[in-house]
Amino acid sequence: MIQQTSDKKWFDQLVMELRLRQVHGNAIGDTVASAKELLSDTGQQAEEAFGPARDYAAALELPAAPKHDWVRKALWPSLLGLLAFLLFNQAVVSSTRSELLLISPAQLALLATPVVLVAFLPLYLDAIVRRIWVCIAITAICALAGVMSGVATPTDQAEAWLALDPLPWLIGSALVMVALSVRNTIRSSSTTDDDDITDPSSGAASSTGTGARVIVQVTNWMFPILALAMLGLALALR
Amino acid sequence: MEVSTSTPRDAASVDWPSDWLRATLGFLALRALSPGPSYGYAIISELERYGFGTIKGGTLYPLLTRYEAAGLVTTEWRAGDGGPGRKYFALTDQGRAEVTRLSADWLRFTDVTTRYLDQPTREGSP
Repeated sequence: MIQQTSDKKWFDQLVMELRLRQVHGNAIGDTVASAKELLSDTGQQAEEAFGPARDYAAALELPAAPKHDWVRKALWPSLLGLLAFLLFNQAVVSSTRSELLLISPAQLALLATPVVLVAFLPLYLDAIVRRIWVCIAITAICALAGVMSGVATPTDQAEAWLALDPLPWLIGSALVMVALSVRNTIRSSSTTDDDDITDPSSGAASSTGTGARVIVQVTNWMFPILALAMLGLALALR
Repeated sequence: MEVSTSTPRDAASVDWPSDWLRATLGFLALRALSPGPSYGYAIISELERYGFGTIKGGTLYPLLTRYEAAGLVTTEWRAGDGGPGRKYFALTDQGRAEVTRLSADWLRFTDVTTRYLDQPTREGSP
């Protein structure tokens, strides 16, 4: 039982390490299956037979997708969604109160903080995945920047750097969020993900259960759902 | 190739220096595929049977993966007997030529080494 648990942890870590190296799902499935085959033959523990999962993943030197591939496919749309969500949040309060959208330079800098942190994610993604405190620190910085941007909102037009009609920004940001969610939904449901981890002996893909599909759809619609919640909150507190 | 239980005459359980194994394990693994396609455990057992010690999966599989990328071996999954499938490795023509070349080079190298070691040492030298 202990052996099974430690082996499961080792295999989870191996898959994560290979994913971080942008190894294709088929190659990951092949690596996992051949490692399991040997363990079944020898009765050894994974760590004993293959050493640390991180070292083994590095030693295999499996072909990897170009580094910028996931940036183009996932990071830029997420970044655009975040930007639209932040704009929506700024515009929604002013819009429900029928006021101008007032923006100060400090507020803009604070709002830009999470956007910049996400934009530079490829530089420190490994650290976030491997060290939970890095993940907590980044989340805390983003949350703090959000709260501080609320504090830095100008109270009258004289203090503001920009005074805008909030409605076009509200509608525009909402449309961008919905368009991105529709795009992601179509991409994830109409095509079979060719990067799924597949068992080479059976050809079956893993992690395609109903639960996983629901999580994917909820993630696709995360920004519009949160924006609706913010709209409800703004209307309630009006 | 299946796992053989017979013991060759020259087999001995020796802990060879890891540097020596690192230098030779590549073409020894290729040589283990010369009789025909084989899988991880069978290759490890074959090398152990011939006295090279127990090679770990963490050492063998990266080598074979590299050889596959270099076109020296091909792989194929075959259904197991009631158990999980097995990944079989087989030499390509290029791999076979490489085994022949490396074996000849190794024999020449060991011959030179042996001749050097066998020369009489000067009296008083360490």
